[in-house]
Amino acid sequence: MLEIELRNVSLRYGRNPVVQDISFNVKPGQVLGLVGPNGCGKSTLIKAVSRVITPSSGSILVNGCSIEEIKRMELAKMLGVVPQIPLLPGNFSGFEIVLMGRNPHLGLLQYEGKKDIAIAWRAIEETSTWHIANRKISQLSGGEIQSIVIARVLAQQTEAILLDEPTSNLDIGRQIEIMDLLKGLCRRQNLTIIIALHELNLAAQYCDELVLINKGRIQCTGKPAEVITSENIEQVYGSGSYVGSHPLSGLPVVLPTAGSSNHSQE
Amino acid sequence: MLSQQTEASVMEEPPKAWLYPKWRKRIAAVIALLFVLLLVILFATSTGSVEIPFGTTVSILLSKLPFTDITPNWEDGIEMIVWSVRLPRVLLAGLVGAALALAGATYQGLFRNPLADPYLIGVAQGAALGAVIGFMLPVSAAGAGIGIVPLLAFVGALLSVTIVYMLARVGKMVPVSTLILAGVALGALMGAIVSYLAIRSDMLRGIMFWLSGSFSMIEWSEVQIVFPIVVIGSVVIMLFSRPLNIMQLDEEQAQQLGISVEKMKLILLAAATMITAAAVSFVGIIGFVGIITPHAVRLIWGPDYRFLLPLSLISGAIFLILADVLARTLIAPSEIPIGIITALCGAPFFLYLLRSRIKASY
Repeated sequence: MLEIELRNVSLRYGRNPVVQDISFNVKPGQVLGLVGPNGCGKSTLIKAVSRVITPSSGSILVNGCSIEEIKRMELAKMLGVVPQIPLLPGNFSGFEIVLMGRNPHLGLLQYEGKKDIAIAWRAIEETSTWHIANRKISQLSGGEIQSIVIARVLAQQTEAILLDEPTSNLDIGRQIEIMDLLKGLCRRQNLTIIIALHELNLAAQYCDELVLINKGRIQCTGKPAEVITSENIEQVYGSGSYVGSHPLSGLPVVLPTAGSSNHSQE
Repeated sequence: MLSQQTEASVMEEPPKAWLYPKWRKRIAAVIALLFVLLLVILFATSTGSVEIPFGTTVSILLSKLPFTDITPNWEDGIEMIVWSVRLPRVLLAGLVGAALALAGATYQGLFRNPLADPYLIGVAQGAALGAVIGFMLPVSAAGAGIGIVPLLAFVGALLSVTIVYMLARVGKMVPVSTLILAGVALGALMGAIVSYLAIRSDMLRGIMFWLSGSFSMIEWSEVQIVFPIVVIGSVVIMLFSRPLNIMQLDEEQAQQLGISVEKMKLILLAAATMITAAAVSFVGIIGFVGIITPHAVRLIWGPDYRFLLPLSLISGAIFLILADVLARTLIAPSEIPIGIITALCGAPFFLYLLRSRIKASY
């Protein structure tokens, strides 16, 4: 059970501010989606929560404790990350990469034992990647690499998972499969999930709560139906997309409308 | 469609054994190579300008072990050659080969760069500068039985890497690319100084001989100094083989998997530099072992550092011992600089390996 809270977090690269004054919290059993245009700071926030970069002001708390005070190894037992473009060494096998997820649970002199191997194989089964587990990374497609990294984060067995565009290279079938898996884990095991998505329809379907970020600041937060409205979309993305509701779930859907950008000639 | 799926799942059933099948092969390889190393040491000790029967060599060595009772049936001169001349030389060649190969593997992993070798960030040039200064000093020997040349070479190597590390430091971080650039630049600077000093010096021949590496005139005292340094450094490096694996992802992912990347860089750089410095100080700059051995091991047994490190260490030792046998026997009684042998024999073997593996993987 892990609660993540951001309090007035600002982040910068050098002197360029990237995000400013971001606050939100995620409770166990909840999927929080970070949405917003390209370059709005979603990935930067994910990096900050996993302590890869340090906020210039504000604080990030895990169960009420600042992440600056948690050792890296301990933090890696609490939260796992699926990066946006995971660079993996091409000559390792898929299985070897998944097994790396066990690292935070092992001491310096410990080797992966029976239990770790079993956990890795279960993660591989859950993500249905067993057919690529023994292949070299260099022989895998972008989508297959993403699946392997998701298997790795499951093998890490953390109470919180941060994902940065985990489905950007997946076809629609795999997208739904992975998102169903994550949502199911979240509900069953009370995981805390933060997921950065640019695909608004996917975000609307799966997230309990959305944070819409625009130019590094929070535009609005709330349930998908409260955040994905035609006014917000127009304001943040600039183009007039059509926002309707999903015929089966009733959740909002965004449909692109040709000729609604400022490149269109009237 | 359905039948295809079931077929695939039958074929790719996850293995039930907890020991990952590839690991068994690699563990077997470590044991087999250790055995080969032992044989190579015995072979190299009995081979030379005076041919000594294999059996005699083994008996002489066994008689030196405690609790053995072997009556000598050999001449004292033979025992002298085996015990005081050849064995220290063979062991030092093994230690240097092991150190360079291990340091090379570590640097390649740390920099995630296949072109990295133990000399990439200024160890060799620092050692050379120290050695050249040692040659030019009027003092002939320092205390503790170490010559002034190896002492200054060791200090020069450590000092130059320390300077490179400081130069590359940005705040709390030491980016790999800056480290390499600073190393190459400082190395060039020191290389120029070495060349200038060498041609101005009247010790040019001695300096050139040191620069191209040689195991002649090796005694037990040198083995006794290099051995503990290489052992300690190697143990430290191998302790961190799993973190080194994870650093093959990128630094960001390594941090997210619990690795303190900067701490790890500092420890591994220090250990790899120390064993490289110890290796080159006594025998000069021997090229090729450090870059080729880890690659050959990687091509045969895969990239997992937990096996790559010990396998490189043992292979490096075997390679350099055999190279030294050739160096001292091919045109006996004179010697060929060992660097020529390592390149002449290592390069074709590596190219063969490269081509055959490339064909296999496409």
